[in-house]
Amino acid sequence: MTAEAWQIVFFTIKASALSTLLILPLGIAVAWLLARRDWPGKAFVETAVMLPLFVPPVATGLLLLMLFGRKGPIGSALNGLGLEIVFTWRAVVIACAVMSFPLLVRTAQTAFQEVNRRFEDIARTLGASEWRVFATISLPLAARGVVAGAVLAFARAMGEFGATAVVAGMIPRKTMTISLSIYQHIQLGQDAAAWPLLLVSMAIVFVTVLCGQIISTRKRP
Amino acid sequence: MKTKALGLFLALCGAINCSAAELTVHAAASLSDAMKEIGAAYEKENGDKLQFNFGASNMLERQIEEGAPADVFLSADEAKMDALEKKGLLLSGMRRSLLSNSLVIVVAADAAALPESAADLAKPDYKKIALAETRSVPAGIYARAYLEKLGLWDSVSEKVVPTENVRAALAAIESGNVDAGIVYKTDALISKKVKVAVEISGAEAPKISYPVGVVKSSREPERAKKFVEYLAGPAARIVFEKFGFIVMR
Amino acid sequence: MKLRLDQVRLPLGAFTLEIDATFDRLITGVFGPSGAGKTSLLDLIAGLRRPSAGKGQMDDTILFDAGVALHLPPRFRRIGYVPQDLALFPHLNVRANLLYGYRRQFVENHSFTFPHVIDVMEISTLLERSVTSLSGGEQQRVGFARAILSAPRLLLLDEPMSSLDSRLKTRLIPFLHRIRDEFRIPFLYVTHDAGELGALCDEVLVLERGHLVERGPPGKVLSL
Repeated sequence: MTAEAWQIVFFTIKASALSTLLILPLGIAVAWLLARRDWPGKAFVETAVMLPLFVPPVATGLLLLMLFGRKGPIGSALNGLGLEIVFTWRAVVIACAVMSFPLLVRTAQTAFQEVNRRFEDIARTLGASEWRVFATISLPLAARGVVAGAVLAFARAMGEFGATAVVAGMIPRKTMTISLSIYQHIQLGQDAAAWPLLLVSMAIVFVTVLCGQIISTRKRP
Repeated sequence: MKTKALGLFLALCGAINCSAAELTVHAAASLSDAMKEIGAAYEKENGDKLQFNFGASNMLERQIEEGAPADVFLSADEAKMDALEKKGLLLSGMRRSLLSNSLVIVVAADAAALPESAADLAKPDYKKIALAETRSVPAGIYARAYLEKLGLWDSVSEKVVPTENVRAALAAIESGNVDAGIVYKTDALISKKVKVAVEISGAEAPKISYPVGVVKSSREPERAKKFVEYLAGPAARIVFEKFGFIVMR
Repeated sequence: MKLRLDQVRLPLGAFTLEIDATFDRLITGVFGPSGAGKTSLLDLIAGLRRPSAGKGQMDDTILFDAGVALHLPPRFRRIGYVPQDLALFPHLNVRANLLYGYRRQFVENHSFTFPHVIDVMEISTLLERSVTSLSGGEQQRVGFARAILSAPRLLLLDEPMSSLDSRLKTRLIPFLHRIRDEFRIPFLYVTHDAGELGALCDEVLVLERGHLVERGPPGKVLSL
């Protein structure tokens, strides 16, 4: 593993961790809403959230490119504030966030659904506001599943390729992730150079998913 | 003269009862438009079906090395053809340098700032510059060699957004997501969304050469040779020159 | 305390719960077979379910009025609930469970202070334990104490003894008496076991398939 390869590994870990942290608040909120509330158009929201799982990643990347590009609705606004998105590390974080969001929501939603409603109801009779019920009852009881969801999201972000390639490009030291680097090595006919990266990334993801599995299936004491 | 020979050939074909074949042609991305037009004309005249595979020359070379079925290969630089020849994957005697091209510095059609020379690219106004990947794709290799010769590479390399092939670089410039880029003159000509700022010429300008060859594992070597002859002929020349390529003699 | 349920209706699948009654005794028993709608009645009073029609009022507070889509959320009703499965929060220890609904400003008199309640319910030694490590009887007492500590004006008990064997039941009855005598909170006590109601209730209502079919002193109602 060269120094350059380590830089790529650390960059990928940082970008994945940041993207996971970014989607946690919204992801938990959406998961809870989908688990505990009903409203007109709910099915629409549920489907929209799941889309990045099924739409070809490069298509999602194209959509992000159109939104965050210099001429796009969000991109032009941010540009005005001096923030460049596409072809920078920010695009990597955004692509990872979008692609891993459904995994977080799905897992956390199940966790909230599995919390016995009785606990939430009794908390209400004891005078708790809806926010207090969420913060002191629903979330702690669903914590295991939420953490498992975050772990899955992180693992997905580590392996993200298609959307990232489109919206962030493969710029050495700036947007080069493990997956992009492996792809580039293949393009250059340097398959051997890709092996260390491949092994390191598989090891990282294996450990994180294993942790997630352990956390989510451990029996409640 | 040509038509008489062709007519005889077709008659012979009819006599021997040979059906039209399909040829797979791997061609550099910058040749997409020209080759499609040439291919359509060839199909009408000849009857053989042409299946094009456009992409960065390094990817195409790689695919041929891995055994992808191909009959003809048109690369944007000699190095890729050399690599195949060294590995014994080319039919000997059929290789020739067909075309040349030149590089241009382009910006988006509605861009306010226009570089006046390559040196301007080092200026802070240009934050992102699209080049085809500079270690593998011919267009990128040529561009980098040029910038290195001018001593500009160190200051420009930080801004480079590498793309998979030269047409992807063109698209990035068209979208406005980069400030400038270097593509072939022929690419700039087919796009309405970019304008040429600088035509790269002079002693430091790269010697661009597009060689063509027949792949040894071709199932239709005779028909492949026929197509290569056509590409070197007058009908194809007209089309290439129309798109801005320089046809080598 | 006077709880008035006016033409209240709640569809329950196989039948509809229809109640039109006033509860003003200290301890009212609601007796009926399983599936008669007893838990749904308690849920309704506590505010965990909304009726399709009718009005409910406790003293001066309107709990709900389906006609004008009024529904006072459970947290404002000051109605304590001890459900059948107790619903002790598993992730909190006994102390945290007990204090969950405890608010100093509601403590009107000495009866409802934390030290007094845990003393009466004899759970002072259990405070740092996890709720899952408690015995059936201990859990029951913690469940009652938690509800009492929220200083409710009415206490709803859903089959509080159903999971206990007869030995534990006899041990728990004195605590219910204490709740009645010490804290003077009116209860609505729901059960399918007639024996529990005899010693405890001032009045018994019988619920059958969603309707109140009988009402009166325990001796009279339950001798049938």
